[in-house]
Amino acid sequence: MEYRDYYQTMGVARTATADEIKKVYRRLARKYHPDVSKEKNAEAKFKEVQEAYEVLRDPEKRAAYDQLGNEMKTGQEFRPPPDWARDFEFRGRPQERAGPQSDADAQFSDFFSSLFGGAGSFSQAGEARGRGGRDHHARVDIDLDEAFRGGARTLELRRPQQTADGSVQMSTHAVKVTIPPGVTDGQQLRLQGQGEPAQGAGRAGDLYLEVHIRPHKLYVLEGRDVTVTLPIAPWEAALGAMVTVPTLGGPVQMRIPEQARSGQKLRLRGRGLPGEPPGDEYLQLSIALPPADSPQARAFYEQMRRDLAFDPRANFGS
Amino acid sequence: MDRTFEAQITAEGEWLSVTQVCRATPIDFAVVIELAELGVVSPRGNEPQEWQVSAREFARLRTAARLIRDLGVNVSGAALAIELLEARRELEARLVVLERFIQVSAGGG
Repeated sequence: MEYRDYYQTMGVARTATADEIKKVYRRLARKYHPDVSKEKNAEAKFKEVQEAYEVLRDPEKRAAYDQLGNEMKTGQEFRPPPDWARDFEFRGRPQERAGPQSDADAQFSDFFSSLFGGAGSFSQAGEARGRGGRDHHARVDIDLDEAFRGGARTLELRRPQQTADGSVQMSTHAVKVTIPPGVTDGQQLRLQGQGEPAQGAGRAGDLYLEVHIRPHKLYVLEGRDVTVTLPIAPWEAALGAMVTVPTLGGPVQMRIPEQARSGQKLRLRGRGLPGEPPGDEYLQLSIALPPADSPQARAFYEQMRRDLAFDPRANFGS
Repeated sequence: MDRTFEAQITAEGEWLSVTQVCRATPIDFAVVIELAELGVVSPRGNEPQEWQVSAREFARLRTAARLIRDLGVNVSGAALAIELLEARRELEARLVVLERFIQVSAGGG
């Protein structure tokens, strides 16, 4: 597995005080928190920072980690020494409440697990025997088309599993999910009994999926409504026209009214994502000008200038 | 070991009991009550023990729980952050619509 330099992750010196580390953690957590951050890879960064803080905030873990020395760099091949952390107390406390994180979708690295065993994110307080399984959370990214039609989807989920010797390993399993039509961005879906299996008598936990809809090149999604910018010709805007417009369910005919303006929004009721009530589709008109790139086209523009008494800046006053 | 589970989504009309919510998030019941008082969630049901939370508001509670836990903000702070984050999301969607409009109008669409 790969070594992780927790000091480097947090950008603190190996001699940093607990107070300094706490301050840096607060700053980095705010910067990379997936709920608020606009940074690239915020979620991955946040997990790294949390993992580093989980070790550096705890004097025992930090001392044990420091024992490994400062020769190694992040990404370097690493094996824990055989008598690793024999004298430290965090071994044999697998039921300890993990620090800042508890979601099963935010697990720590193999490096962390190999050093600190079950004291990672997934071992929270709780009776080991006869308790129900915990709920798990995962995120699923889908296309807008999938949100519209629904459909089956197989998800690969990694989950921690306690092995016979008490260490924790990640195992992959597949979950087949049926996504209902009309699911919206940020919505939670619950899969009963698909979380952690029960320990003994209790009931299995549930699996919650948070749905994220990927941006689409044509449609902009707001709740269940979608907006499309629709280019139209000047004569379509001026005279009105029937045009074919795209909708999530396939192309439909729509009437452009006479004297349509650029920026005007037309509504196709019920053509957004399905639901109770279904969303609408908005078409924002954008008048496209034919290029004056031939003698004929130029002559046509000349004629408009002569024949139309049109001042686009009439509102400016004098 | 790879296993495949067949799973249907049980959205229960998109409402979840407050017990389920507290177990799944995890979030303290007292925090849910406080967030309801602040208007972040409007559960249905008379007694708090019988409350049900809509799927959308469940997402809000999850965000609140994460902000409180990870950033050390208090409940009012989390409520404010959620309000601002949702306002930002709305503005971003409107901005994308306007950018598309400008792009198409400039002949780039």
